[in-house]
Amino acid sequence: MSPLTLTRRRGLAAAGWLGPAARRLGAGVAVLWAAATAAYLALMLAPGDTIDVLIGDGLDTPERRAQIIAEWGLDRSPLQQYGDYLLRLLQGDLGHSYVLQRGVGEILASQIWPTVQLALTAATFGVLLALVLALATAGRRSWLGGLVGLSELAVVSVPPFLVGILLLAVFSFTLGWFPVSGDRGFVSLVLPGLALGLQIAGVLGQVLREGLERALEEPFAVTARSRGITEWRLVAGHALRHALLPAVTLTGWFTGALLGGAIIVEAVFGRPGLGQVTVGAVNSKDLPLVMAIVLISALAYVTASTIVDLAYLAIDPRLRRSR
Amino acid sequence: MNRQVSKEKTVKLRWGALTLAGVLALAACGAESEAPTVAAGGDGGSLVWAVETQPITFNPHQWGQNKARLLVHNQFDALIARGGNGDFLPWLATSWQVSKDGLTYTFELRDDVTFHDGERFDAASVKANLDQLVSPGYNAAVSAIQLRNFDHAEVSAPYTLKVTLKAPDGLFLDFLSSPLAGQVSPKSLKNAKDLKAGGVDVVGTGPFILDRFTPGQEVHYRRNPNYDWPPAGAAHQGPAHLAEVTYRFLPEAAVRVGALTSGQVQVIEGVPATEIGLIKGDPELTLETSLNSGSAFSYYFNVSRPPFDDKRVREAFRDAVDVDAVLDSVYQGAAKRAWSVIGQGSPQFYDPSPENTFGNDPARANRLLDEAGWNERDPEGYRVKDGRRLTVRTISAAPFVRDRRDILAQAVQAAVKQSAGIDFQVKLVDQGTAQQAADENEYEIFENSRGDTDAGAALNLILPKGAAINRTRFESAELDRLLTDASATSDLAERKKLYAKVQKTVVTDEALLLPLYVPADQIAYGAGVTGITFEPVSGTPNSAYDVRIGT
Repeated sequence: MSPLTLTRRRGLAAAGWLGPAARRLGAGVAVLWAAATAAYLALMLAPGDTIDVLIGDGLDTPERRAQIIAEWGLDRSPLQQYGDYLLRLLQGDLGHSYVLQRGVGEILASQIWPTVQLALTAATFGVLLALVLALATAGRRSWLGGLVGLSELAVVSVPPFLVGILLLAVFSFTLGWFPVSGDRGFVSLVLPGLALGLQIAGVLGQVLREGLERALEEPFAVTARSRGITEWRLVAGHALRHALLPAVTLTGWFTGALLGGAIIVEAVFGRPGLGQVTVGAVNSKDLPLVMAIVLISALAYVTASTIVDLAYLAIDPRLRRSR
Repeated sequence: MNRQVSKEKTVKLRWGALTLAGVLALAACGAESEAPTVAAGGDGGSLVWAVETQPITFNPHQWGQNKARLLVHNQFDALIARGGNGDFLPWLATSWQVSKDGLTYTFELRDDVTFHDGERFDAASVKANLDQLVSPGYNAAVSAIQLRNFDHAEVSAPYTLKVTLKAPDGLFLDFLSSPLAGQVSPKSLKNAKDLKAGGVDVVGTGPFILDRFTPGQEVHYRRNPNYDWPPAGAAHQGPAHLAEVTYRFLPEAAVRVGALTSGQVQVIEGVPATEIGLIKGDPELTLETSLNSGSAFSYYFNVSRPPFDDKRVREAFRDAVDVDAVLDSVYQGAAKRAWSVIGQGSPQFYDPSPENTFGNDPARANRLLDEAGWNERDPEGYRVKDGRRLTVRTISAAPFVRDRRDILAQAVQAAVKQSAGIDFQVKLVDQGTAQQAADENEYEIFENSRGDTDAGAALNLILPKGAAINRTRFESAELDRLLTDASATSDLAERKKLYAKVQKTVVTDEALLLPLYVPADQIAYGAGVTGITFEPVSGTPNSAYDVRIGT
């Protein structure tokens, strides 16, 4: 192969990236708008009047109602409120929380980093565990494989709430290795990260192992073995790439599992984060905060699925050329 | 060959697993060295206190969660304190006089008090607080209820304040002793970034200074070294014992208890009935319980629609339940049975005469229901009248369910079905749906308890015609008159007499409610902690002012 053809092929490869990437970004923006609208509609249609929620158990007089309506601008038509909402959103203004009496942007800014930290730790634990277990047991019908498969099924079936309490009971209350709560550096992330990551490890581990086993039976594996390659290099260097595609597809599900699980895990471990804010906001019908959280979750999903789509292109060059 | 290769692989993986275990062990060592240390000796040490509920706001004027009450008086002092039998004691106000007509209150204030930001506490700052409380859009509930009779305040000398009311109000002093009347620095009232949310920039005169709030995790206070104005009745004078105190938010009860038994926190608030045995069995731990003031946790019957428009059905529902047995099964003997709309936690106004006059009489319940016309049964065993099943619904908002009240409802549900064939449906919904059900009168039972320090304040919200949470929809001019009279006088004996009549009317004569239990606060703490007490009237945990740790 001459150097010239090589450069040309690289250039083509880069061009193959551009189109799909642009399409994905456009779709992402549309999804965000749809999410904002859906959140708005859902809250409009949810039972109970915003004014009632703001009054709570307090005195319900016409004067007080009028005051609340004026204070929060509730006298405008729903369409008008929706328009204002989108407009303010474009300017980066997420509004003011009804209940917590602070700016929504400020609340989220202070709570998002602990959740991101937790999610990343959980994802790392999950992926590492899944990789280790799958690589260790793929292609062997031993008792070890059966045991790992069974435990994967177990951790997928047990809710993270219970996993969290069990982990705490053993490693914090009894052994005293890890602190029970808080945001105190990596040490306090281990148990919540595990509680959240185990579920991912369970699902991902099964998918990976199955993929590996299928790949190891394909003709290319026989060819590679006949070339004298070690089994380890065959698994790690060749079969893994095949097994990764279905696993990467799961990343979208993963994002959801991490966001949903964080709500429970944060409460159990007394960690700051978006999870606890979400529960409070939904329960007290704190409209501006709920909408902002929906938007952030949508953003996380869109980002994750965009990365997944681009990752396909990176893993499987055939997809690049076909577009 | 294949076999050899896989052996090699296994060895490598074993090393991997060992490395992972090593990393975890290292992290664990880190945890041990970072475990909270209890500093003893001269500096008073630091204490970690795990609480169930994170406050929505740190501004005392906006306070509304009884579970967050214990935090308020760390940072803020009130004008008046309460004594053991409900009397009013001096605090930031050294004395006060009430004019004969009950319309003018003259307060003499301490002249040696400063706010955390250095501002001086005086009559002008008290006036600023009162004016702020009634300013539009600030706290509409307070200006419409507690301060509805407030007319104006005037500074007659630097440390003398004259307050004029529009009408006599027996609850005005109670308001001044509540967390809502915690004194905020006038500078904070003007300059705070988020005044309603409170925080480090909304300061008071209290024994502790809030210096760090991590939402979802904890709030941290350090000692106010200048503090020298505790309420009458405090166990010591001068600054607080503790150099710092951290309240950690742990909503899961099992986690709180685990954190205490493993020594990671020294005090916990909110001990579930299921864990009380564990705490009592541990000689290192102490458990203290205190009944809350206010109204008892009760099922209020909606008399505006069938079947509870018929008093016989209301009485039958009460007689169908063996409250003691139900409480025992749900709380394992840890709950105090209530007998009246006012709980035993408000001894000033509690009237014991309804005790043992109703309940646990299935024979009478069945007879009453037969008489009321519910004398047929459907195949499932429920009573039927004119083809309609005897169904009653309770609809409560999930965020307000505490103390395993959902489980309690299930126990009552089983009891009334078994002993009288009543179909009691328990619905747990979001706040909006619950509000809608209340507005549309689509419920038969309303569950509620209120933690007001003055039980009369609770009754004023529940019983009068058109009151904010009059969900029985019962109306009686006679009852309203009794309640108005009781609120207008500050003569405790007279009020007790009037409230006894109120209780007789609603509990005995009208059977408007089924009182279940008296809400209580539980605190458990480890060895070396002393000075944990409860507020005399409200029955909620006190601030950390008198708390000590170490030897």
